[in-house]
Amino acid sequence: MVDAEELKALIRKKLEEGADAFLCLVDEEGSLVPALVTGADSPDLERIRVGGVRYPLAKILVELLREYPGRRFAVLARGCDERALVELAKLEQVDPDRVELVGLACTEEEARACGCPKPYPTRVDLGERAEPAPEREVIEEAEFLPDPERLRFWEEHFSRCIKCYGCRNVCPMCFCEDCALENPQLVEPGVVPPEFPSFHLIRALDMAGRCVDCGLCDEACPADIPLRSIYRRMQEVMEERFGYRPGEDPERRNPLSELGTEAEIKKIMGSGLEI
Amino acid sequence: MTEEKKEGRAEAGGEDDVRILAFLCNWCSYAGADLAGVSRLQYPPNVLDVRVMCTGTISPYFVVKAFQEGMDGVLIAGCHIGDCHYLKGNYMTAKRFQVLREALKFMGLEEGRLRLEWVSAAEGEKYAEVVRSFTEQVKALGPSPLRRKRARAVKGEKGAA
Repeated sequence: MVDAEELKALIRKKLEEGADAFLCLVDEEGSLVPALVTGADSPDLERIRVGGVRYPLAKILVELLREYPGRRFAVLARGCDERALVELAKLEQVDPDRVELVGLACTEEEARACGCPKPYPTRVDLGERAEPAPEREVIEEAEFLPDPERLRFWEEHFSRCIKCYGCRNVCPMCFCEDCALENPQLVEPGVVPPEFPSFHLIRALDMAGRCVDCGLCDEACPADIPLRSIYRRMQEVMEERFGYRPGEDPERRNPLSELGTEAEIKKIMGSGLEI
Repeated sequence: MTEEKKEGRAEAGGEDDVRILAFLCNWCSYAGADLAGVSRLQYPPNVLDVRVMCTGTISPYFVVKAFQEGMDGVLIAGCHIGDCHYLKGNYMTAKRFQVLREALKFMGLEEGRLRLEWVSAAEGEKYAEVVRSFTEQVKALGPSPLRRKRARAVKGEKGAA
């Protein structure tokens, strides 16, 4: 278990080194909430906690960077937060020069509970690297079914959807001003559960080459729809076809947001460009 | 159009027949389809085409929407790689298609309901052949499970009203 004192020392150090504020989690009457520590003598420092629940800190950071131009922020980032920040930087939502990471490795139990593919950031400042524990249970369950039954399998899951938009709202990779899920031509307003399968399919398509597999959507969903497995399958496709993993290489952009070269296309499409 | 022809059309795209939506690029495949027409090549009338400026403008949402609205198959046809009027527009189509196909497959829609083909303006015969084989393929799969579901929902609404 990581000591809060260690983190406190790190926060003070970062603030001295030039960060204007530090984004982390503090204890507020028994529950953890995100907070911004702005000074070495801030009372929030006494309530700092390490570990516990997760928040889409990358998403909060995007708003902070927009709200306070020119300011520099430091953030306590787990593996998933780091991946989200890397991917958001490529999409020009985060200015990497204004963000510093303090890496927190998740514990063994946290990694297992999350089914995390990489439960630590590239640089670990706090904690010990745990073994990745990726899981494909739902994907395998769905893939095992023949076509019409798979459709029914998802229909059953999606019929529980109450269209709360929680999956989108919590997703660190969702930042569009105009969301396709609110476009009345694509998703009929006022219909619950939303049309099957377009609502969830649209989100799944947008997550291709983007989802950093943080699993917050699964945690947020009040209907227990295995959303993460759908997006994870999309990521498997991206890896099989394009060799691309979101959030890993800061230099390589999502192949779906670039035109690419003819050689690349030929490779993807196979010989003779036959489908 | 004579009465006879009208009837023939309605039947081909009717309740029991399959309906296919084809997105054709303005510069190659639409001209290819046109060539098939002026050459009087025979192909099934189950296809409804939508002319787009480039296949690269086809958002995957359009295809999802087409299936949602009850289409049994969706055909995307554009210029051959390297011949795109906008140079690289069809690169995007080729990439998106891979993801879209896998997504639909993972949701449980049969793989054969979606097809991507490159048809140039000179390939009228190829266009006719593509439509023939694709229609056969979709017919073998039968009406889309989403269409059957939709028909039920619409009937239900009418019943309630």
